Amino acid sequence: MPRVIVASPHRYPDLARLWHRAVARDLLPALERAGHSVEVVVFRDAHADEFDPAHFPGAVLEAPGPGVRDFLEFYDAALALDADFLFLLDADLFFLDPDWAASWLPSFDDPDVSAVSLLRRSDEPGVYALLCRTAHYRELPQPVFAPAYEDLEDERNTVNRQPGDVAARRLRELGRKILYAGPEEAEERIADFHGTTVIRASREVFGHLMDGRGFEQLVSRKRYFAMGAYDNALLGSLHQAVFGEPFAPGPDGEPLGGSVPAEAVRRELGLIEDARMKEVLSAYFDRSDRAILRLAAREGIDLALPPMRPESWR
Amino acid sequence: MTRVLGPGEFYYKEAFGPETVCRGAVLLECEWDGGVVEAGALMGVVFRSGEFRGGTFWGGVFLGGTWAGGVWESGFDHTGRYRPRTDHP
Repeated sequence: MPRVIVASPHRYPDLARLWHRAVARDLLPALERAGHSVEVVVFRDAHADEFDPAHFPGAVLEAPGPGVRDFLEFYDAALALDADFLFLLDADLFFLDPDWAASWLPSFDDPDVSAVSLLRRSDEPGVYALLCRTAHYRELPQPVFAPAYEDLEDERNTVNRQPGDVAARRLRELGRKILYAGPEEAEERIADFHGTTVIRASREVFGHLMDGRGFEQLVSRKRYFAMGAYDNALLGSLHQAVFGEPFAPGPDGEPLGGSVPAEAVRRELGLIEDARMKEVLSAYFDRSDRAILRLAAREGIDLALPPMRPESWR
Repeated sequence: MTRVLGPGEFYYKEAFGPETVCRGAVLLECEWDGGVVEAGALMGVVFRSGEFRGGTFWGGVFLGGTWAGGVWESGFDHTGRYRPRTDHP
């Protein structure tokens, strides 16, 4: 029976718990129904001792060590595990239709197919939801999945290759194929959130160097932080409803104190004057709202969304 | 005249020259060229030259200069190679 390893790096145990609950309930059985044996590997990129094994039944919990110093090295370590297929999944990605994900497995009947990217955010496949044939990826120079800068000596042509990009190019050069799910198709079947870990890690790494308000102002200054803060508040609502515990707690246990509280998100969004940025964020927030409501529906929860859109945006 | 970037200060997409000392500020997507970092956090910064003595370097490119101490969270060296946590240039 072909063996699949579902591998995902996580820095925060609360998001990991929500993610694993969905994977164990939905994705894992779908892959098994498709005739595969499946193992879930969670990489604890930080706070390893805060991951309660009881919250991750059946999963293998890994942690940093020699040769696996962070989550990017973990991708290569996971490739070395005993499996025919490696399914890399982002920490904040959830399948609303797990059978759709499993339906891509027969694509590998074509011996030239190296991977299927179920969610792409650029021209390259990314590693957000990447189902890989391990035999092909193992043929590539190591590190296989590492990001890189190319042509640094020529600033005008410098390119930042994201994790998995270089591998994808090398596979294409070898005549291999990478398949892509259509964006509309993926939108209907995946609930994905952006930047949720980055803003929490930022608060952890340098938030103490700024006053609280100063950190929260990043929401109005940097689009990626606005997206991450908004999505964390949504995930926090769901986490609270499912587990009855605060999400992304601050030093005193206050909900979202380790990200940006919902009322502060609303305040900072109200300070944005750039019409284009408001338009882009509004569209993104609409999408996130739909995603969290559909995810909540799978839990049987009628979720009330925290009010974060300023009145002036309506 | 030395310019000191202290705790509580935040800079976004700014450039700093050899007269600068960072003693606790947060720099996001800035350029560093010649000064000394003693404390603070540099996220997504292009470090062209100078000395990194303390603080956190995260997700930037270390093109040149000297690494004397501090926390290397992640980043890239002058060849473009990714260097994971603790693997400073």
